[in-house]
Amino acid sequence: MTGTDAGPLATRLAAIVGGRHVLQRRSELLVYTSDGLPGYRKHPSLAVFPGTRDELIAVVRLLAGDGVPFVPRGAGTGLSGGALADGVLLLGLNRLTRILALDADNRLATVEPGVVNATLSRVASAHGLHYAPDPSSQAACTIGGNVAENAGGPHCLKYGVTLNHVVAITAILPEGDIVRLGNADGETEGYDLAGAFVGSEGCFGVALDVTVRLEPDPPAVRTLLADFSSIDAAARATSAIIASGILPAALEMMDGATIRAVEASIYAAGYPVDAEAVLLVEVDGLAAGLEADVRTIERLCRAAGARQVRVAADEPERARLWQGRKKAFGAMGRVSSHLVVQDAVIPRTLLPEVLARIQDIGSRHRVSVCNVFHAGDGNLHPNIAYNAGDPDETGRVHRAMREMMRACIDAGGTITGEHGVGLDKLEYMEQLFTADTLAAMCRLREVFDPLRRSNPGKVVPVHSCREWTMAPSVRRAVPPPPAA
Amino acid sequence: MTAAAPPVTDQVRDRVRDAIAARTPLRIAGAGTWLHAGRPVRADRRLEIAESAGILEYTPGDLTLTALAGTTLDEIARVTRAEGQWLTLDPAGSGAGTLGATFATGSAGPLAHAFGLPRDHALGLTLVTGRGDVVRAGGRVVKNVAGFDLTRLAVGAWGTLGAITELSVRLRAVPEIDVTIAVAMPDGPDGGPLAERLALVRQAPLRALAVELLNAPLARATGAGDGQLLLVRLGGNEPLVRAQRDTLERLGDSREVPPAVWASLRAAEPAGSAVVRLSARASRLAGLWGVAREAGDAGSGALCHASVGRGVVRAIFPAPRQDALASLLSRPMPSTLICESLPAPLWDSLAPGTAGDRLSTGIRDAFDPDHLMNPGVFGEPAA
Repeated sequence: MTGTDAGPLATRLAAIVGGRHVLQRRSELLVYTSDGLPGYRKHPSLAVFPGTRDELIAVVRLLAGDGVPFVPRGAGTGLSGGALADGVLLLGLNRLTRILALDADNRLATVEPGVVNATLSRVASAHGLHYAPDPSSQAACTIGGNVAENAGGPHCLKYGVTLNHVVAITAILPEGDIVRLGNADGETEGYDLAGAFVGSEGCFGVALDVTVRLEPDPPAVRTLLADFSSIDAAARATSAIIASGILPAALEMMDGATIRAVEASIYAAGYPVDAEAVLLVEVDGLAAGLEADVRTIERLCRAAGARQVRVAADEPERARLWQGRKKAFGAMGRVSSHLVVQDAVIPRTLLPEVLARIQDIGSRHRVSVCNVFHAGDGNLHPNIAYNAGDPDETGRVHRAMREMMRACIDAGGTITGEHGVGLDKLEYMEQLFTADTLAAMCRLREVFDPLRRSNPGKVVPVHSCREWTMAPSVRRAVPPPPAA
Repeated sequence: MTAAAPPVTDQVRDRVRDAIAARTPLRIAGAGTWLHAGRPVRADRRLEIAESAGILEYTPGDLTLTALAGTTLDEIARVTRAEGQWLTLDPAGSGAGTLGATFATGSAGPLAHAFGLPRDHALGLTLVTGRGDVVRAGGRVVKNVAGFDLTRLAVGAWGTLGAITELSVRLRAVPEIDVTIAVAMPDGPDGGPLAERLALVRQAPLRALAVELLNAPLARATGAGDGQLLLVRLGGNEPLVRAQRDTLERLGDSREVPPAVWASLRAAEPAGSAVVRLSARASRLAGLWGVAREAGDAGSGALCHASVGRGVVRAIFPAPRQDALASLLSRPMPSTLICESLPAPLWDSLAPGTAGDRLSTGIRDAFDPDHLMNPGVFGEPAA
């Protein structure tokens, strides 16, 4: 789309949503040129923010009629560049913030896509319920964004990720059809369309509403902090806890560099600054039996070499321990101006080896790697603080990150556990998946979005789709892609 | 534990390609125990998957396992039990059923209360599509959002997108204590007392592995007891299990029953039965239960059980009568009705075809353009 097209389209969009909710000046669009992952800057041509479901439907249908590509965006807290619009229209969903229904008896809530994750839990708390997936950005990120990314969070170890909590979605497809995916009133038969939509990173259309499962608040919670003089020992403790049969609500690891950054920040949580690793372990459920689990975990941590194991005495202490974890990325801001956060999953038993490889890769490229991650799931988040103004350092950071991803793939892992592919991980998709598998992903996408207009260019490398589109057997079933 | 993978997927791929070349529709068969479900598959040839059995990778510390689709649930139970782990799926039938069929049909049993459906257990799979290509979806790790989710798509697709040849699944540690308690439940044509009791059960401080309601005939048939009752499976450490047993005692007359009742429940379906499932939000379970009861009374009796937390009633009609079933199936109900298994002659006349919406049709065409894989299994008409 070119600038000259933007005028009339903007006028027609303004007629739907009101002039205040269509942005086209470069200065106004500046805030939408990045998401939670620094390092990418992409300028949308135009941004539109519908305020109601009807406005959203009208906007999507107008865009369909004109064949205009668009990028759906929630709060823009994503960490893969997934919500960046490169010269195309940005469709902001953060004004759609109504909780449409809360069925406390059946522990279900139906919400609009712009409802903030933490807001849903806060509203549900009046009924003794909460929404379990808790990404670190939960104070800002939206349920629609969580659905797009299949977001996780520390408590997904026990309770599952977004996929396991979504029971139904009403979506508008890019061509304007409204579809019902999944079933909130009983079982689903036929293809798991809701399952396919969750994690589709905005490439399958836009959710109009999402029905999610809520969890009862646990009557009792215990949070432990164990500190270790080596990452290895903390990794061994992790394996021992999981093998014991206890399923903690969360099992998080922070390495020494992270601990020291947190403790030097306003989020200081009282972590021991001379530790090389801490484990934050939380168990929850009925009060009965929980103390026995706490004692088992304490024993296993000490057996693995923990110097000290501390159980949070009260809710303020527990909240403080968690704040240090959840704000760890923010605390890195003290170290350097930019932070690149990686997201990969490896088999849990390989944590010690892979973490050692990551440290080694970091030293070879002279970058300092911090690790703060979901140890119980084997979901790593190595992150590197750096100065993006220094091209040499930036180059070394990117080379190191590439090698780390390769190490995780070689260990039998995957390139993203909860942040999504977006733009940032596109280059790894062919390392992870065969050409036939990527082609199948393209075919699936085109069932939802035949012209690939919704979040174009994300998730699957464009050439992986082009190659299969050339095959004559495919051409008859699918409309041709838009001219480049 | 690792074994060299035999080229099973390649063999299946070659057979599918032959079928594509000859335009021969295929019926995918695991152990073959599901074929009596009466689903009207129009196929000339069987594609046998059960020959391809074996565990390919199992690292207990990762709580994940990868096996060929023809591996039986019994074999997986045997291997994982030795490490204090289990695959938390207990679909109807027996342990002779295969991993592939369980996931392809999305079949779950009482344990779904705590652990969810096959979709929640699948980490990745290999699918030979109806195009004759090999898709390797997902992976072997417990969290994975790389690319579009082809794993979820193939699970529960009843083979209509292709044949699953390998699966990676999530395991769990076996609980320290695993006991089953039967609690007496009010019975009678007036569902009010049952509805009140079920509401108390759902609000009770329980973290059970399964909470299943059984009608009196099924309770008797499984050896769980006399009269309508609730079977509650409790797992965990001693204080946790004890506290929940105390809670159950306050909900009704309760006693421990042997864990074998769960295997009896899975196998409760006599050959030739019709099986239908009614589901709705869990708070409406008593109403669904009443509907199933009426259908049983109008026919020649029904064995009924229900997942109290999930709001799913499963009604087994051992000697199905067409008129009784027809009146049940045609009744307008604000709930979801799924025909699990019907005598073949009844299928066409009774079961509604599913998967006819635009997206489902498009997905089918994208993965199996010639409709050679299990055509008709969803009750859809011939193309």
